Amino acid sequence: MMWKEKYKIGVELIDGQHRELFRRVSDFVKTVQSEDKWDEKLSKVKETLEFMKAYVITHFDDEEAYQKEIGYPGYERHRQIHQRFKDEVQKYAEKFQEESYSEETVQEFGGKLMAWLINHVAGEDQKIGDFQNRGGSV
Amino acid sequence: MKAQYINSFYKAVLDVFRLMLDINPEREELTVVDDMIAGNEANVMIGITGDLAGSVLFGFTKDMTLEMVKIMSGMEMKKLDSFVSSALGEVVNIISGNAVTNLSKEGYTCDISPPQVIIGENRSISMATEKALTLPIKTEIGKFEINISVRENQ
Repeated sequence: MMWKEKYKIGVELIDGQHRELFRRVSDFVKTVQSEDKWDEKLSKVKETLEFMKAYVITHFDDEEAYQKEIGYPGYERHRQIHQRFKDEVQKYAEKFQEESYSEETVQEFGGKLMAWLINHVAGEDQKIGDFQNRGGSV
Repeated sequence: MKAQYINSFYKAVLDVFRLMLDINPEREELTVVDDMIAGNEANVMIGITGDLAGSVLFGFTKDMTLEMVKIMSGMEMKKLDSFVSSALGEVVNIISGNAVTNLSKEGYTCDISPPQVIIGENRSISMATEKALTLPIKTEIGKFEINISVRENQ
């Protein structure tokens, strides 16, 4: 999963967190897609999932705080998108517990996470940068 | 069935492919078919409810699906596994979400159901009671199609 310059929104804190998210999701995809036996990669999978769960929340909180600070008009809509994604992650976390981290479900989660993240950062998040670049006017 | 339904989906495909894959798709000629069959190697079905009711079926070849996921992940993909089909399902989900936003601008308030990914050729699921429109779309990594069958709820 490649980080692209076009994903930057021009806010150092947010861009740094996005880059870190891309790096972590990319590592996660590499791990789940590697040829190693599932049992062997499971500890790495669990570790990444734990990190992601915490980091996604930190990042969403920081991004939402920034939107509030600049008076971003799409704040509420954006907050709802974040919330829906957090709910989805939570549902997967419960499913992982129930199924003792089945390969099938972890793979499914990985595919969804990757596509969601690319679209969100390349699309929705760009609107925050655009708003700021226009001098914070609608 | 009106052309604006399919146009809302086509516009969403353009936007999402450019944004996520850096690909510019091109539409080909629209045809009318009697029913919808999930006849491709990777099919994704979405249900629509609200002012419009029906379903939309996206059909991709295996090669194109693997290439799309390769572009996103930066990794060579070999098979249509859970990772690949889930990523494809999410891309179609995003396209359909954008299409619903486009439809709302035309005055139709709709919702979509979560994508259902059907892997394997000839898993015939004929689901339309009415005729469907098929829009073939050409891209530099292959061709795919969108089948749409919806009716207006009065």
